[in-house]
Amino acid sequence: MQNFKLKHSIRQMFLAVAGFVVGISLLESGGLANWAGRMEPGVLRSVAVPVAATLNKVLLPLRVGAIREGALDELARIGWTDDAARLARRNPTATRAARVSAAARTAPAPPGPAPALIAAATAPVVLSVPRITNLSPLAPVAQGKPRVVGLTGDSMMAVGLSATLMRLAADDHNLRIVRAFRSGTGLARPDVFNWMDEYPAMVGVDKPDIVIVAIGANDGQGFIVDGKVQLFGTEEWRKTYQSRVAGYLAMVESGGAHVVWVGLPPMRLPTYNARIAVINRIVYTVVSHDPRATWLSSASFVADESGEFREFAALANGRTMRLRAEDGIHFSDDGAGLMSSVLVKWLDPPLEAANTRGPAKPASSAQANPVAIALQANPVGATLSRRGGQNTNQFVKASPALHDLSLADTANDQRKLEEAKSSLRTAAADPLSRRSLP
Amino acid sequence: MLFPTVEYGLFFLCVLAIAWSLYRLPRAHKAFLLLASYAFYGFWNWTYLPLLIGISLFAGLVAQRIQRTSSARARKTWLIAGVTVCLAALAYFKYTGFLLTSLLAVWGNFAPEPHIPVASPLLPLGVSFFVFHAISLLADCHRGKVKEPVKLGDALLYVAFFPQLIAGPILRASRFLPQLAAPPPPAPPRSSPLSLLIFGPLYPILCAARYMPRLSVRPYLKSMRVNRAFLLIIGGLFKKVVISNMLATRLVEPVFSVPHAYGRWDTLLAIYGYAAQIYCDFSGYTDIAIGCALLLGYRFPRNFNAPYKSASPQEFWRRWHISLSTWLRDYLYFPLGGSRRGSLRTCVNLMITMLLGGLWHGAAWTFVAWGGLHGLYLITHRLWNRMDWPPLVEARSSTAWLWTSRILLFHAVCVGWVFFRASSFEIAFDVFRRLGAGGAATLATGPVCLVLFLGLAGQYLPQRWRNGFEVQLGRWPALARGAALAVALALIEFLGPSGVAPFIYFQF
Repeated sequence: MQNFKLKHSIRQMFLAVAGFVVGISLLESGGLANWAGRMEPGVLRSVAVPVAATLNKVLLPLRVGAIREGALDELARIGWTDDAARLARRNPTATRAARVSAAARTAPAPPGPAPALIAAATAPVVLSVPRITNLSPLAPVAQGKPRVVGLTGDSMMAVGLSATLMRLAADDHNLRIVRAFRSGTGLARPDVFNWMDEYPAMVGVDKPDIVIVAIGANDGQGFIVDGKVQLFGTEEWRKTYQSRVAGYLAMVESGGAHVVWVGLPPMRLPTYNARIAVINRIVYTVVSHDPRATWLSSASFVADESGEFREFAALANGRTMRLRAEDGIHFSDDGAGLMSSVLVKWLDPPLEAANTRGPAKPASSAQANPVAIALQANPVGATLSRRGGQNTNQFVKASPALHDLSLADTANDQRKLEEAKSSLRTAAADPLSRRSLP
Repeated sequence: MLFPTVEYGLFFLCVLAIAWSLYRLPRAHKAFLLLASYAFYGFWNWTYLPLLIGISLFAGLVAQRIQRTSSARARKTWLIAGVTVCLAALAYFKYTGFLLTSLLAVWGNFAPEPHIPVASPLLPLGVSFFVFHAISLLADCHRGKVKEPVKLGDALLYVAFFPQLIAGPILRASRFLPQLAAPPPPAPPRSSPLSLLIFGPLYPILCAARYMPRLSVRPYLKSMRVNRAFLLIIGGLFKKVVISNMLATRLVEPVFSVPHAYGRWDTLLAIYGYAAQIYCDFSGYTDIAIGCALLLGYRFPRNFNAPYKSASPQEFWRRWHISLSTWLRDYLYFPLGGSRRGSLRTCVNLMITMLLGGLWHGAAWTFVAWGGLHGLYLITHRLWNRMDWPPLVEARSSTAWLWTSRILLFHAVCVGWVFFRASSFEIAFDVFRRLGAGGAATLATGPVCLVLFLGLAGQYLPQRWRNGFEVQLGRWPALARGAALAVALALIEFLGPSGVAPFIYFQF
């Protein structure tokens, strides 16, 4: 008897599977429709979307979706979920606080960036992205008023970079970190994860003075706008993505925060790398139009001399270290640490260093900004910068400036690369012309 | 393709339907499973398919050669050659960067490091697992444990069979190949209107290919424990999607990212949390694999057996990742001499086995330290067990001793997990240091504590409960069982986070 109960014929198995298929269709038709809608444009999607949509439409009268939403809200109420947007929607206190915070963030916003970003959203995309970027010195942190630093982005922030930044900032009472990043997200697919909703909810009542952004690794894909497929790399795709980047940037800096946008590093797989280069060019176009945003080239920390991917590197201390994770995409802790140590020292400059610079410049156009920023990106050469009166370039050797990876413009890039090398040789001859590092 | 995704669900339903439709044609059935396995693997990155095919083809050919050779010396030569090639492939893909940087670091202690450009190839998914499968095939053929002549197709399917391809369990060739050689199981279901409705679109294709068997029912199939398969899949998904994900994102990751931002209670909870997370993540994944294989008519060995109930390091390794620990025992520890060559040699063998086991998990010194720590535990326990002072022997049989041992062992294992999880020794020691720091438990929310409790205490649920539930489930109509499975799956999806955290064991 027990044997009979434990062991079944294949017929029974198929019946059970049939029951499962029917049951899951009833319960998850909405989820299936969402899943189909989130697929990248392609043959599979063109089959899955109508099937799932029809199924969902037929089962809509059952109101499973509404019941599910109500139950999810209940879960959010008891603290089961960490979905920031849902929590913010469901928690009236938090929502109120977020509104107040949003109002506070919006109030002091200087009038300058909005038109700049409007222009940036439609500006022609640059042909190359500079590798060297200056972070102009910040004013020292005021006593008892820590500088609030927001970290946002996808796994490029979540893996390596956020951890090293938080580790370095943990013992620094002048810095307070706000976490607002999430792996597996991006700006290309607001239907999957909408940063315009999620970021304010994640930041909540905090008001970052500076936001460090690292995002875009998942954005090398096509999407659908108003029912029309926009394939990656096409002109219409570029326009949509550029406007999304501009919108995201405007939102992040809406409370007067200054943004440091960490450019994506070169990737190991050539096809993926080519897509990332396109994304970098679009993002740089937007960021370079915004006086309150600074582009920080991660390639200058982790790429090789010609701007290509490298996994390991012999650093200035003589030791060979892994700069990139084994997947060839993310930063390793050591690679991220190169950037993080620069960023943390920049965020909280030592007083003696500030003194040697002289008093902080009075803010002019960026009066509302907590920092004075000047974007001095030089597209072809290493720029001059010194911090604290001494050159402390401990980690990364000076390297050529360009690593534009546009496949369509390789000849032009080669020429620029040569110019960059020439520029570097000149820069290297001058001990003062080293890139700014701690 | 990950198990807890819609893509895999649809893939598996299709494979299930077609595979059973082809059951009476063993060659077509196996060929289809092989193609499905390659599609499963290629879905992630097809560029590494040649490596998978190459390794399995090579192992199959060498295994055939070993079986055909009568000279013991020649057989051994073939075995060594085969294992060397397999290990060389693993070493190249997994350890190139690690070995080079380690060598350079050693060099750097005596002289300035030479500027050698170091690079490592992209790690193919599941390479550690399919290389170990290939070695198992070679070794079992050499030992004569595979009685029947190895067919090349079977060897390819054994190495690439998709439920175990990415994260095990590590199958033994001697136990899996006979399943492939067995006569086909009984017939698939009668062509009822329901099955025609569900699988109808496939029928014309199958009939056209003359592969469509006459459908009839024979109500037996000893290997088909449908309810068990369902329970394994649902239990595995719950552990993976709900428990592991929540612990990872809301407890473990924050603390291990920035240890010195948290006090002792958060740190302690995070260490316990990681013990529960890695168990739920890995055992959940292999439970799904075992359940899927069972539905396809194949039996996989059990991979976890409530490991945190162990009272000694030996017992722990008999309960944790059983397929790997027995693999290491049979193909590494025993060939080294096992425990037959005196105490000192036994200790050395144990340490070598565990150090290499640690290295197998990842190309980093923290994994080696984890393995070394477990080697130390095994050696210490072996020496401790030799003490035969009568009161001690008597005390060892008491319940209090058992529970004390369990608690001690669990904490010793947790110490190892800190090295396993930390990205560097610096972080690991930071975590330990924070155990002495003050501060309130900021991460101990109700849901987190609940899933932590479930992850750890769930192992103490009596086995008979699950068996009883399986029997009870058998009394339900088949359709109702399927519907219950759907409800359970929807609940898991509902309770799980919106994103799925990366699967820990992929990197191995």
